[in-house]
Amino acid sequence: MFEHLLNGFAVALQPTNLLIALVGCLVGTLIGVLPGLGPTATLAMLIPLVFSMPPATAMILLTSVYYGSMYGGSTTSILVNIPGESASVITCKDGNQMARQGRAGPALAISAIGSFIAGSFAVLVLTVVGAPVAGYALNFGPPEFFALMVFGLCTVASLTGSDVVKSVVTTCLGLMIATVGIDLVSGAPRYTFGNPFLQDGIDFVVVAIGMFAFTEVVVTAMEVRAGTRAEIIKAERIWLSWEEFKYSLASIFRGTVFGFIVGMLPGAGATLSTFIAYNLEKRICKNPERLGTGDIRGVANPESANNAASGASLVPLLTLGIPGGGATAVMLGALMMLDITPGPLLFEKHGAMVWALIASMYVGNALLLILNWPLVNVFARVMSVPAKYLMPIVLVISTIGVWSLSYSSVDLLLAAGAGLLGYYLRRNKYPIEPLILGLILGGRMEQAYRQALIISKGSNLIFFTKPISLTLLVGAVLFLFLPMLLAKAKQFQAARAVSGEAA
Amino acid sequence: MNASAKGRTRARLEGLAILLVACGYLWEGHNVPDLFQMPGVPGPTTFPYILGIIFALTGLWLLVSPADLFARRQPAVEERAAKPPAPAASLGARLAAQWHFYAMWIAILGYLALMPSVGFPVATFVLLAVFTFLLGEKRWWFVGSLALVVTVVIHLGFGKGLNVRLPLGVLESLLK
Repeated sequence: MFEHLLNGFAVALQPTNLLIALVGCLVGTLIGVLPGLGPTATLAMLIPLVFSMPPATAMILLTSVYYGSMYGGSTTSILVNIPGESASVITCKDGNQMARQGRAGPALAISAIGSFIAGSFAVLVLTVVGAPVAGYALNFGPPEFFALMVFGLCTVASLTGSDVVKSVVTTCLGLMIATVGIDLVSGAPRYTFGNPFLQDGIDFVVVAIGMFAFTEVVVTAMEVRAGTRAEIIKAERIWLSWEEFKYSLASIFRGTVFGFIVGMLPGAGATLSTFIAYNLEKRICKNPERLGTGDIRGVANPESANNAASGASLVPLLTLGIPGGGATAVMLGALMMLDITPGPLLFEKHGAMVWALIASMYVGNALLLILNWPLVNVFARVMSVPAKYLMPIVLVISTIGVWSLSYSSVDLLLAAGAGLLGYYLRRNKYPIEPLILGLILGGRMEQAYRQALIISKGSNLIFFTKPISLTLLVGAVLFLFLPMLLAKAKQFQAARAVSGEAA
Repeated sequence: MNASAKGRTRARLEGLAILLVACGYLWEGHNVPDLFQMPGVPGPTTFPYILGIIFALTGLWLLVSPADLFARRQPAVEERAAKPPAPAASLGARLAAQWHFYAMWIAILGYLALMPSVGFPVATFVLLAVFTFLLGEKRWWFVGSLALVVTVVIHLGFGKGLNVRLPLGVLESLLK
């Protein structure tokens, strides 16, 4: 393992890759600072541009952008009380309070330090467990892989959005879109309606850009029309005292550990991990009543959790080929477009790329700490560029991203349709991440299902006779239905109590 | 109609739409040819049929949700809690209030549909100008200048810098 990591550093520290990591960290931090454009949309837009790069360089760029956005999100949360991206929502509570009390410097400092510690922890765990987990997963056959993907989709469906049924709707929609095109096994055209452009299927990048970028531009544009200019507080000295650091250490540790554990679950993502870690912190820490009033732990804990979670989400992606959330789903799509199939064989067949990626995450963490500490006021100033100038530019760049895939006007029209659908889904609380995940995993899921049925000569019992497959399917059902049943039981009890009082 | 009733009606309409899409998906599955189909081997329609059935069931759930049936048994509680609904605005008034929203979408869809034929430079210039105006920038000279500069920078950056083939469209005869 150590030798592999050293070889990885040899690749990651090449001047080109170092420069790409720096660019990725800068772009990611800017994306995190600017509300309105999250890491998922940005990664989708970057995919057409990374085709010509070697796989290691491409993945270093995408991962650096993903990581960078987690660092950048805290800057606007603290200085402007607007979360740069969804995982930084909680940081607004204590972070902005601290800034208003003249303590923006310590808030930003602890955010950078906590992010660095948590990010390093996540990469360290990935380094240690990555290859063994992938090795264990070599025991997986088609039934286990199918069950794993069902488990992944069910956890995403239950953890994203407020209504499980709506999440299942969008998951099915994504899987159905994935069936469009020529069936690779039989060669039969499916759902192409005689259109030759649909024979290659619908590219997930087209749908991702349409649903994330175009929709986000319109949503942000409407908020710009309705909103007021936010005050940007300037941070004087980005430093904190030794006592403040010792006071925050336990919160950083708890945020890191809980954020990592939750972040490994497919669908949890950095946002949910942050909320769960913060809620646990409020139950465990001393003097919890201070959280929300400008307590430095209220910045340290969520920022550590979101960086730990973003690193943790790469564990199932690289070892099992199951993305942890929207951004890692797009990274999975990028790997497949680069002709690399993530999963247990990734460490065997593309070990050099994987270890270079892991090594670059150590480098990226250090770069982000170096960038964010002195340049935080510069990044904050970017927010003063009005969104009315930025959003149209984002729209144009997104369009170029779609166009450059295959220079087809059909792709542009599909992206337009995806944008309209994405806006409707978002407006009516249908989560979009399950749709993207279904679209990306659909082909592999169907292939695993058909291979399993070939092995069992057409019997679906194979999924229930294999222990790992059975465990995963039971877990999927529990994840999907248990929260809904518990919520309905609570509603029923509450309604009975009200009826009892009325009587 | 209060907000809760509107929400339930929307959910039912969505359920109906999902059911119709699912039926169309399952129907179209019949048109998929069984090429080189061997016995005991799942064909190209097995997975789509499963998906279509699950999709249809979710549509059915939204259409006749048990939660909705339960809520209808508690009308007294809801009626006591409900405030009298505000009078609904006319369609024309609603369109007038949200014309920026519709204009933005028309601009985006028009850009995506026409960019390949009109050309990237002209289409992008028009989109940037229109969108910036819709977002509240009223100074025409600034809007025009910004749109022109950004179009040129992006065209050179992506076209020459990253070798992305951006269509010239109507400018092709002028520039070539």
